[in-house]
Amino acid sequence: MAGLAKNVRMLTRYYSSTSAIMTRPVVKTISSYNCSRRGSPVKNALPLVSSQRLVTPHERSYSSKPPLTLKLIKERVILVLNLYDKINPEKLSLDSHFINDLGLDSLDHVEVIMAIEDEFGFEIPDADAEKLLRPQDIVRYVGDKEDIYE
Amino acid sequence: MSRINILNLYKTMLKESKKIPSYNFRKYALRRVHDGFKENKGLRDPDIISEKITECQRNLEIIKRQAIIGHLYNAEKLVIEH
Repeated sequence: MAGLAKNVRMLTRYYSSTSAIMTRPVVKTISSYNCSRRGSPVKNALPLVSSQRLVTPHERSYSSKPPLTLKLIKERVILVLNLYDKINPEKLSLDSHFINDLGLDSLDHVEVIMAIEDEFGFEIPDADAEKLLRPQDIVRYVGDKEDIYE
Repeated sequence: MSRINILNLYKTMLKESKKIPSYNFRKYALRRVHDGFKENKGLRDPDIISEKITECQRNLEIIKRQAIIGHLYNAEKLVIEH
C-alpha cells in the first residue's frame, strides 16, 4: 500500500513537471509579445492568456433569423436556382429534374448544392446532396433541417 | 477513386478557392477549377483519370497555401467588391 502511494506521488510529480515544461514556453512567448507590443510589465502576462483572442470571431448578428415557412423556403430556393446561369428560368419548376429536365451535369449539381448551402447557411453532406435532384427535394430537406412542417 | 470522391474533390476545391482573399486570384482559381473539371469530364481511361486526380490534389494544396498566404498579406478590397 505504501509502495502504491509512493508510485502515485511520483507519477503526479512527473506530470506536474511535464505540464510546467509545456506551459512555460507559451507564457514566455506571450509575455515577450506583450512587452514588445505595449511595454507593460510581465505580471500582466497571465490574464492576457485567457483574454487573448487567437481567432477573430465571425460577424455576428444579434437579431433572430426571419421565421421560415415552407413557402418562403420555396421562394428562396427558386430565386437561387434562377440566379444560377446554367438553368433556364422558363423551364424551371419545383418538380423539374436537374439532370434530366434542366440539362445540368453532376458538376453543375455540386455547384447548385453549394449555392443552396450558402443561401441557408448550413452544410449538406455529400450523401444527402446526391439525393436532392429536384427543387422540391431541396425545399423538403431544408424544411426538415430547420424543423418546419406544413 | 469513385464518382462521389471526384465530386467531393471538386466541391472541396471550389470551397477552398472561395477562401482566397484577393479578388483576382479567387476568381481565377474558381474559374480554373470549374473549367478544368469540365474539360476532363469525358475522360474514360482509368490511368489518365488517376493521373489527373493526383494533379488535382497537388493543386488543392496550392490553393490552400495561397489562401493562407493571402490572409497573411491582406490588402484592401477592390472597388468592384464593395
